[in-house]
Amino acid sequence: MYNRNFKIVALAVVSVFFLQTFAQNNWNVPADKKAKNSYIKFDAASAGQGEAIYNKNCASCHGNPGKGNVQKTLNPIPPDLSSIGTQSLTDGELFYILSSGRGLMPNFKSMLSDEERWKVISYIRSFNKGYVQTLSKFDPNKAKLIKVSTNYDRKTAQVKVDVKVNEKSGIVALKNAEIGLFVTRYFGKLQIQKNQLTNADGQTVFDFPKDIPGDKTGTVELVVKLNDENYGEIESSTKLQLGVPTDKPALTDKRAIWGTLAKAPFWIILLYLAGVFAFGAVLLYLIFALNKIRKSGSNKPQ
Amino acid sequence: MSENQEKPKKRTRREFIQDLGIVGIGTLIGGSAIFAGVNYDKRKKAAERVKVLTAENEVMEVEKSELAKSAKPALENLTYLQQQGREGMAGKRFVMIIDLSKCRNARKCMAACNEAHHLRPEQHHINVLKMQDSANTPAYYMPKPCQHCDNPPCTAVCPVDATFKRQDGIVLIDNERCIGCRFCIAACPYSARVFNWAEPIHSLEDEGKVYNVELNVPQKKGTISKCLFSADRVREGKLPYCVSACPNGVYYFGDENEDAVTNGTTKETVRFRKLLEDNGGYTLMPELGTHPRVYYLPPKGKEYPFQEKDKEEARERLHNS
Repeated sequence: MYNRNFKIVALAVVSVFFLQTFAQNNWNVPADKKAKNSYIKFDAASAGQGEAIYNKNCASCHGNPGKGNVQKTLNPIPPDLSSIGTQSLTDGELFYILSSGRGLMPNFKSMLSDEERWKVISYIRSFNKGYVQTLSKFDPNKAKLIKVSTNYDRKTAQVKVDVKVNEKSGIVALKNAEIGLFVTRYFGKLQIQKNQLTNADGQTVFDFPKDIPGDKTGTVELVVKLNDENYGEIESSTKLQLGVPTDKPALTDKRAIWGTLAKAPFWIILLYLAGVFAFGAVLLYLIFALNKIRKSGSNKPQ
Repeated sequence: MSENQEKPKKRTRREFIQDLGIVGIGTLIGGSAIFAGVNYDKRKKAAERVKVLTAENEVMEVEKSELAKSAKPALENLTYLQQQGREGMAGKRFVMIIDLSKCRNARKCMAACNEAHHLRPEQHHINVLKMQDSANTPAYYMPKPCQHCDNPPCTAVCPVDATFKRQDGIVLIDNERCIGCRFCIAACPYSARVFNWAEPIHSLEDEGKVYNVELNVPQKKGTISKCLFSADRVREGKLPYCVSACPNGVYYFGDENEDAVTNGTTKETVRFRKLLEDNGGYTLMPELGTHPRVYYLPPKGKEYPFQEKDKEEARERLHNS
């Protein structure tokens, strides 16, 4: 009896260990990301919200957790997320995988916010009865203390981002904060260069390409996304005149054969009108000629 | 004879002024009577009270004279939608990029499209084709929507101006004008158009809905329907139905003027021209001079196998071409 139990436990330990190392080898999650914890409490409410996000974005490949309906035609086959392989990963690892993606697994960095990604993880964790959450000490309200200023240097074509924190002890520069610079486009935000860390003065500099189209006056909306361990995610936008002024004519401006009647080429209009007139003229001529014949007939002396 | 005839009586000035006076006073009296009548009518109407239903679902009683129409009647709405749909969005030139290396025939785009535009299952605004270009080249999946050409042959042949190109590049069809001649189907080299041969799938539920030319709903039997680049979604700044439904990151959609396209799956925005340049983007049948607004990236480095069951269809297509 004891022997059998021992075997089961040993098998479980070995398989957990194996799966864990397997998963780790697969994803190479950096140590600091692995230790990251959620500031959102994993409860029924957050899991419920996470389920809606999961069904919309994840279920098409991963299926419903525990149901075994994963998309088996894919290579590699996506794991069932209630499986021990997934559940043995830390919250930070799950968050990293969800954020960075790889191969067929898309990254959800631009698609879901930090909060939404944690909620999905909350949903995944709801399938693990033995899971106990370690909450992050992070306070999302601290984000209000941050002040981001963005300036453009025309000479060097650089955008300088300056981050200050309004702490109780006074205004201090925020160093080692992750900064991403984006330009607002109609359907999304276009990233300029890769994310950078602020230096000791809370500053970072981006080379801004000279061929980014702006509006008619060359104005573009710059968005700075800041991500800091202690202050969370902050987004600030400024409108600056650093794009190429763009005022392209409407595609229907030119007269074309496929255009509407109002935009038909002149030669078609003229040709058509000439045709109609020519036809009318021939008809009129015929009527006149016939009338002439009739008259000459009736004028005949009897 | 002429002697019997009396000379026409010449009217004196006195008589003329007399007549003028009568006419003048008559007009004055008549006018004031009409004025009084209108005023009386107004007052009478003012006293009439009517019951109205507010947006909050409360029944209120107000004087009829104080009523003003706020909701547009259906016909006015239709005209408005048609006009807005015909003009398109100023300053935009929409483009789509389809990355063939990522498509694995999930057909979620087709499902989302058919649902949005109330199409029968056999009707496709967008269709994922199984392609093989020559005997030795590998087969691949190719989603094919309307190419929204800058030189569209379909609009050139329409005899009633029902199908048209907009300033933002989108080619639409107005079912209220379409006479069902199907010239455009014959003209389109990409076979992008479908015809409503049978009664549309949701025709009962759609009855009475105002026709939206940017959505093609309600569909109408005997008219053409085609891919609209989801003009209604795009107007709201959202990605098209097919683009956002794709689970594999196949589609990019954006504005050529902004030189940016956004991936429907990852929502990542990249530069339009750079994406084409880095991946060898191309258009379908460029030799026809249609200048499509849909670009393709070649099926290089595919991460999925072409399904065995689809190979037969791909071979057939090759055989028939």
